[in-house]
Amino acid sequence: MPALTAVFVAALASTAPGARAASAATGHDMYLCAGVNRDYIVGAKLVTLSGLYRRTAKGEYEHFGPNYPQIFAISFDPRNHKVFYTATINGCVQTSDGGETWRISTSWDMTEPKDVCVDGNAPDNVYLALPDGIAVSNDRGGTWVRREKGLPARGKYTQTIKVDRTRAGRVLAGCESGIYLSENGAESWRKVASATATVTQLQQSPHDPKLWLATTQNEGVLVSRDGGRNWKRIGGLSTEHAWYSVTFDPTHESRWAVCGWQYGIFTSEDGGKTWTARNQGLPDYHGAFRVSVDPDSGRLYFNLWRRGFYASDDFGRSWHFEGIEGGTVYNFAYISKGAK
Amino acid sequence: MMTTRPASPATILTAAALGLAGIVFPSVASAQPSYTGPVPSRAVIGRADYRREAYVKRIDEVLNWRSGRVDRSNPATLDMAAICVKLVQGEDLDLCSARVIELMKDPGTGPFWMFPAVAVAYLGKDKLSPEARASLRAAWSKVLQMRGDTENHWAMYYTSLYLMSELYPNEAGATWYSGKSSEENLAESKGYLIHWMDLATTLGQGEFNPTHYIGEYMIPMLFLATWAKDPEMRIRGHMMVDWLMADHAASTLNGVLRGANARTDDTSVTERWNALASFFSWLMFGNTPPPANYGGWGIYFAAVAKNYTLPEVIYRIAMDRDHDYTQRDLKRSRRRWRYSDVDYAPVYKTNYMRHDYAVGSYEGGITDPIQAHVWDVTWDVPDPRGVNNTMFSLHPISSAQDMQMYFAEVPDWMQLGVTREGKPSYDSADKMLGSSRFEQVLQDKDTVIALYDIPPGTRFEHINGYFSKDLKNLTEDPSGWIFAQGGNTYLAYRPLAPYVWGTTWSWAKDKDKGDRRLISPHLKNGTIVQAASASEFKSFADFQAAIRALPLSIKLEPTPTVTFKSLRGNLLRFTYGENPSINGTRVDYSKWKLFEGPYLNAEKGSRRLVITHGELERILDFNTLSIVDRVLPEKAGDAGSSR
Repeated sequence: MPALTAVFVAALASTAPGARAASAATGHDMYLCAGVNRDYIVGAKLVTLSGLYRRTAKGEYEHFGPNYPQIFAISFDPRNHKVFYTATINGCVQTSDGGETWRISTSWDMTEPKDVCVDGNAPDNVYLALPDGIAVSNDRGGTWVRREKGLPARGKYTQTIKVDRTRAGRVLAGCESGIYLSENGAESWRKVASATATVTQLQQSPHDPKLWLATTQNEGVLVSRDGGRNWKRIGGLSTEHAWYSVTFDPTHESRWAVCGWQYGIFTSEDGGKTWTARNQGLPDYHGAFRVSVDPDSGRLYFNLWRRGFYASDDFGRSWHFEGIEGGTVYNFAYISKGAK
Repeated sequence: MMTTRPASPATILTAAALGLAGIVFPSVASAQPSYTGPVPSRAVIGRADYRREAYVKRIDEVLNWRSGRVDRSNPATLDMAAICVKLVQGEDLDLCSARVIELMKDPGTGPFWMFPAVAVAYLGKDKLSPEARASLRAAWSKVLQMRGDTENHWAMYYTSLYLMSELYPNEAGATWYSGKSSEENLAESKGYLIHWMDLATTLGQGEFNPTHYIGEYMIPMLFLATWAKDPEMRIRGHMMVDWLMADHAASTLNGVLRGANARTDDTSVTERWNALASFFSWLMFGNTPPPANYGGWGIYFAAVAKNYTLPEVIYRIAMDRDHDYTQRDLKRSRRRWRYSDVDYAPVYKTNYMRHDYAVGSYEGGITDPIQAHVWDVTWDVPDPRGVNNTMFSLHPISSAQDMQMYFAEVPDWMQLGVTREGKPSYDSADKMLGSSRFEQVLQDKDTVIALYDIPPGTRFEHINGYFSKDLKNLTEDPSGWIFAQGGNTYLAYRPLAPYVWGTTWSWAKDKDKGDRRLISPHLKNGTIVQAASASEFKSFADFQAAIRALPLSIKLEPTPTVTFKSLRGNLLRFTYGENPSINGTRVDYSKWKLFEGPYLNAEKGSRRLVITHGELERILDFNTLSIVDRVLPEKAGDAGSSR
């Protein structure tokens, strides 16, 4: 399938002088999975550009690949950044030439994955989070098989999946019924935390590989300090509503951020001991969906559902609009320039 | 003759759906013969050649009407549906080719674009210019088509991909949006379609008896039956069309599809006729008018409809009934991703049909998160257009968790989101559409008991009862019963808890529709409805007296419980959360068959449907991929045997 390419120019920063300095002249490329169609329903004409965006050297956001409203996540092969995998409503859609051509690599029996993750230490292996479980490819998306031993027959709705960056085949999955850990490439799983609704996101600290955070619908925000084996709820963050996204700041070990629809964004600058709401300067905090930190600049990004995303260069104390007007950023991704 | 009708809410909805396919009409519904004309005769046409002649005449009406809507000076009027019609009729072929090339510069996305494109590809195979055909083929390479997330999406998507891949075999993955070769596309599509047919013929249909989505199954299945080269897929398509029409025939009252429905909409749930389903009744049975614009999608079916002949046995089920009957069916919920012990919940559907009215239900709970309709009494009217001929109650729940059960989405957006996607009432307290996990239903013939046990804090904490603008003699009786008459049907409605009346529909553009809403703001609640034919009583007063005399015991605490001796003499005992009993015998849902009744019979898991009317029998057997017609020995007193 040939690609479509267009350029989406981000709205210029309006409140933060010098904010655009945090551009791509540093060590990582930045990618977004974004849906821009307001109230799109299946079959409707696409009138805006959705799907994948990448930040250009000028700090603009350039659309590439198919114009497709529901690309939820992206993961790269570290050996070759032209090989990447996306989780879409159709299944896993992947490219091996940087987005020139694409293939839906899953079949009808795997649908609507919400996350995809390449094992950085064994990049032929790719993990897919499905609404009815977990699938794995051991041949770069050539074939997919279900690997669900140890998952419950029901309760295995999987929203998020992450591979431990320090060990091949060590994988954490956020499911309806909790967090599951595999240490053998998904040959088997064991529950390491319980949930009554859905675990919404998992993140591994870029500073300490044993430190993990998880957001959930009903259990608040969870932390593990032993590589995901044991989890406990972080105090000071409510369990009343769902939390959707959490991030570490790769530039400051003790800075974390978390967001939820009803809460907006909260940050901690002491490794999760205390938390502060950082919604001042945002047009509204309701609809908070994704947070992320630029690994080069430490800039904090924050998405509001269908209202684009905002940036802060002082870790949430002030905000400016960054881009994707009217859109939802389903995921942010960064990939090191050096390994291409 | 009727005059041109103004656009109804359903017309607006249909127009919205049409907009998905880029269909543009200069104005709505003028000179659409059967929509504006007199009500069709309900007389049975005995001779096959006369039936066929009438069927073809109806098809031609659709084609001629749609063709006549094209303004050659306005290319927008030559949309995909019009192109299909023009290709069938062999008209304006150069214009069609030019228009196809133009339209393919900016293809649509997803199944609602794919199946019209397939229709144009096949109908234009020998009629469109090579350039037009090439542009159509190229469109299947350049836009990543969205598969969607419902069974109707997938039926359309995979049928379309299947047929296009068959039309263009041996082509490389680089030439398809999927990145897969023609053969890979074909294998995947066939795999899914057979999987879906297996589900439908063993566990029951998912989006069962839908008032609008019936088209999204009928059209692709007819396309398969017509165009598939593989004889297996061709006969499977044909058998599914028969299967769907047999179910439709048994579920319609003079062509009008009533509840229960896995999916309907805010208009059709009350104006029962106003639905795409009525297009299929009109086309196949000829017993009710078609909706405006033939339901929009009906054009695509009509373009291929001459390749199908409705079996007489199905025609007679719809048209030729002289007995009351009960039909019980097993259906299935939409796929449950989470918050459930099962992938698919079984749905136990009861359908009681009489001359003057029909009563239908399933046992309650959620089959589809937004558009399900659990039960109703629908009465016959001479002309159903514009008539809200139904009565029911519901718990108008709005729940993110319920939707998360069925959608792979986050909770916070969903309740608002669906209201922007053609389901405007979802989060409204006064909606009349939807199912609730806090509703349980027992039906015995023309008696329905619906019980509600709503936990505090649920959105919303009341039940709604629907009282149509078309009811007559509405009487709030001191006994606690509410009496009314709809057509030739007497109705008794018993609210189990205090209520007030409301009249507004906050989600609707036309808020004052003349209907009334019974609002009962009590968590432990229920409704009893008993229907009867007016002809059974000397007067309405006699009916009321008979109802008042029926033994009835109601207890709401701690759990809603009803014991009621129905007008038919059956003792119904029903406690919320427990299996009900009829005359002391527990209702055993585990023994429910896929179909059981005088007309349709199938064992659960069998893949085999026996369709019977009088001496006529057709067996659809998906195990052997065979259709067998037989004439049975005549039995005296056979249900519906008047021929």
